[in-house]
Amino acid sequence: MRLELGHVLIKDVQFGSETKIENGVLYVNKEELIKLISEDEHLASVDVEIAKPGESVRITPVKDVVEPRVKVEGPGGVFPGILSKVDVVGSGKTNVLKGCAVMTTGKIVGFQEGIVDMTGPGAEYTPFSKTNNVVLICQPVEGLKQHDHERAVRFAGFKAAAYLAEAAKSLTPDTVEVYETLPFLEGIKKYPDLPKIGYVQMLQTQGLLHDTYVYGVDAKQIVPTIIYPTEVMDGAIVSGNCVSACDKNTTYHQLNNPVIHDLYKEHGKTLNFVGVIITNENVYLADKERSSNWSAKLAEYLGLDGVIISQEGFGNPDTDLIMNCKKIEAKGIKTVIITDEYAGRDGASQSLADADKAADAVVTGGNANEIIKLPAMDKVIGTLDYIDTIAGGFDGSLAEDGSITVEIQAITGATNEMGFNKMSAKGF
Amino acid sequence: MVKEVERAGIPVVHMCTVVPISLTVGANRIVPTIAIPHPLGDPKLEPHEEKALRRKLVERALEALETEVEGQTVFEMK
Repeated sequence: MRLELGHVLIKDVQFGSETKIENGVLYVNKEELIKLISEDEHLASVDVEIAKPGESVRITPVKDVVEPRVKVEGPGGVFPGILSKVDVVGSGKTNVLKGCAVMTTGKIVGFQEGIVDMTGPGAEYTPFSKTNNVVLICQPVEGLKQHDHERAVRFAGFKAAAYLAEAAKSLTPDTVEVYETLPFLEGIKKYPDLPKIGYVQMLQTQGLLHDTYVYGVDAKQIVPTIIYPTEVMDGAIVSGNCVSACDKNTTYHQLNNPVIHDLYKEHGKTLNFVGVIITNENVYLADKERSSNWSAKLAEYLGLDGVIISQEGFGNPDTDLIMNCKKIEAKGIKTVIITDEYAGRDGASQSLADADKAADAVVTGGNANEIIKLPAMDKVIGTLDYIDTIAGGFDGSLAEDGSITVEIQAITGATNEMGFNKMSAKGF
Repeated sequence: MVKEVERAGIPVVHMCTVVPISLTVGANRIVPTIAIPHPLGDPKLEPHEEKALRRKLVERALEALETEVEGQTVFEMK
């Protein structure tokens, strides 16, 4: 499977009379976009704002972030099984609006939503302070059930991203990147001397608004399976998560999974990137046992020499992480795990809820309990009503002057467990 | 909490869903429960069935409390 990702570089976003891209500027017809998103009867009102890097703007509560992409050639469309039909995606050509993102906010869906500051100390912790953001403020109709609310806002993000990306469909991209994974046996034959490396991606599937979807399927209902890495670049995996902001994988993270991109960079040079095994993080012990059994079984079946495992979220998924690690290691396959830490505000507590000697190679995204003070911003998109109650916030987080003292847990993407952030630690 | 209470000389049964974590933290008597969001219940059951389930879990826990153990022991539901 071969995919060409065409990057259309977006340097600026402005409102205009027509949605189009010219000289690196994305113009957005605000009324047309609002009309499109308002078609959902679950939403009482929709507004759109723009937030640019360096502006004194705070966006909260941020639910999802989506990168606009459009299929130019090849089967299917972006977000298969969700916005497009369930065709297998990941081949042909896809254009990406690089440097911009769609963000969803409004009345909070779940209590675990995030903060994105476009400037100041908080901006350093989130990748979305560097993107030109088209922010949807979605307010639900009265009495809407939480899960319907979640779905409505999730779809709003995808629809807006697809709408904006359409403007790039016929454009010649500024840069092109090519990713290719051969069918299994051919791929093994091509690099017989390189170590065979796979990626086990754990998807957040605890339910109760902690969900991830694969080709439209609620991933808590899957058994682990194999997916071509390029499929995720076309939106095969999307976020429906209202889990802690710092270590949830937004749809933007899924589309740009740095583990996949880095493995491709080394593919054919230092390693043979064989493929991706996706698995889940369910709330029944039997599910945890079954899924980790299967991820280990598939890793063995693929004849892998080494595996990178990434987690999503924290707490009981630490057990899924350790089970995956332990069971894959028991097959004689080396593992490296990527996680983050909840080691207390002083960093002195045990970092993960579970542990095992097999987990002897660990990459951390940072300690989510670290406290940060965020100065007031000139403008707030969304609302500050939930600052004291979002995960990472506490009574008195929001001061009268508009400044905020929170754990970095509250900042979208701060301790991302795919490594889509800048924090880590070294120990020997 | 499990360890501190036991340190004071009072035996403890840890009823929990994620048994591996309980084993890692060092509980001695463990009774596996239903699911993380509802350890001692099951919303899919009828109220009378759920009551019966709860009674069984508690009885199993009391049984575990009365049982001498040599080391970490998991008391699976019968």
